[in-house]
Amino acid sequence: MKTIQDLEKLNDHILKIKELIIALEAMDPLFPALSRNSKRALASIKMLELNISDIITLDLEGS
Amino acid sequence: MNDQEYWNPVLETLPKEKLKILQFKKFKRILTWAYTRSKFHRALYDKAGLTPDDIRTFEDIKKIPKVEKSMMRGIQNKDPFPYGDALCVPLEEVSTFRQTSGTTGQPVYQPDTWQDWEWWSECWSFILWAQGYRPSDRVFLPFGYNIFVAFWAGHYAAEKLGCEVVPGGVLDTQSRILKIQELKATAMMATPTYVLNMADVAKNKMGIDPAALSINKITCAGEPGAGIPSTKKRIQEAWGAKVFDHSGATEIGAWSYECRKQPCGMHVNEAMFLVEIEDPVTGEIIEEPGRKGKMVITALDRIAQPCIRFDSKDIIEWDSESCSCGRTFRLIRGGVLGRADDITKVKGVLISPAAIEEVVRSITGLGDEFEVIVDKQGDADRIKLKVELLPEVVRGSVETILKDQLRLKTNLGYQIEFYDYGTLPRYEVKAKRFKDLRKKEIAKKECRL
Repeated sequence: MKTIQDLEKLNDHILKIKELIIALEAMDPLFPALSRNSKRALASIKMLELNISDIITLDLEGS
Repeated sequence: MNDQEYWNPVLETLPKEKLKILQFKKFKRILTWAYTRSKFHRALYDKAGLTPDDIRTFEDIKKIPKVEKSMMRGIQNKDPFPYGDALCVPLEEVSTFRQTSGTTGQPVYQPDTWQDWEWWSECWSFILWAQGYRPSDRVFLPFGYNIFVAFWAGHYAAEKLGCEVVPGGVLDTQSRILKIQELKATAMMATPTYVLNMADVAKNKMGIDPAALSINKITCAGEPGAGIPSTKKRIQEAWGAKVFDHSGATEIGAWSYECRKQPCGMHVNEAMFLVEIEDPVTGEIIEEPGRKGKMVITALDRIAQPCIRFDSKDIIEWDSESCSCGRTFRLIRGGVLGRADDITKVKGVLISPAAIEEVVRSITGLGDEFEVIVDKQGDADRIKLKVELLPEVVRGSVETILKDQLRLKTNLGYQIEFYDYGTLPRYEVKAKRFKDLRKKEIAKKECRL
């Protein structure tokens, strides 16, 4: 998977997961097992962003 | 299966011009993050009359003031305790404490969020994958799991890759060797000093040939040894394993690595770090290969206590060659060549401890350990080298070769002292083999006055 279209597709999935986890984290602050595990999951999703999304969102075509 | 060469096939083969754009955008992002969240960084940049908006091109980056370790020491032990004004996140988001080893002075505290910690192991994942670690590996980690970052992130990265990790923490050297033997571990991470020490103990105290054990690759860090050809050769021969160099630091991260092609140098992970090489005299940024300078480094994604244009004092140089592995990440030739702190003048000649190590370890009749002491005899510098003679080796022939090689490689004459094998100190983590007593002597004289 190396074309920009492939990466955009991956990025779409990453953004969707991120949105879901952010919603999950905020859903019930009195449910630590939910909020803290969601927060940890977001840190892992950030690694997907560093590996994939940054290539798209940082617009490498223009400086 | 899992025969992919790259951990990230896109980033690691990104054309150089795109990589540069990526680095610039990420630099601006971390700079803005620090400027808006850290009193320390804001004050530093305000004093220079700069805001992130003033950094418009890649060339503008060098306008940003450097950060030195001594500056970090000055701001710590204050609120938010104990990190002080460089902290960019609320204290309750800090999930991990580490500190520097204190080799060059008072230790610096390093806070990390969980995201930072994920990032640490992500950086290590690039390293381990490039060195051939795969899920089928059983990785043994013989280090003290404590406040020093050492191989902690290597542990978590190996787990992320799918390897089986054996934490060989609070075990003595012999127990560690027995555990490697018992579990048939295939890989190991440790300082070069300790890897040699383990081989010595296995062979000479336990009657076990380390090369007959199952370790097939070793990742070394913490000291330049795995980048010094004669030391690397000794380790490879002792263990019958491939030895890979890696460099990182508590306040920076895991920024470089040798790949499976072993190109006599290390790749800089240019997707995660921006490395600049600065001429120590003029301050000019060196772009061309073959000119040594001091590394100034930015960790592009570390958020709790950002590392922006950090003056690492590591001496490096760009390689003119690209690597046959296909990575576009640039190579630094010979790895980290030394530290600006360690390079000192003796009898008017600049000398690096790594050059002495290269000579000692290239001579087969000598043991792995040595010690260098610089002091004064009257007003003149004196340099003393203590070495161990291997059993049944005749001193005369070794002494001649050693003196000739030292003169040739370091342009200095040494007072050489031979010791019986096994009598010089052994080290478990970082070795302290270079002692410059001149400063202490001057201090003593000044006290008397």
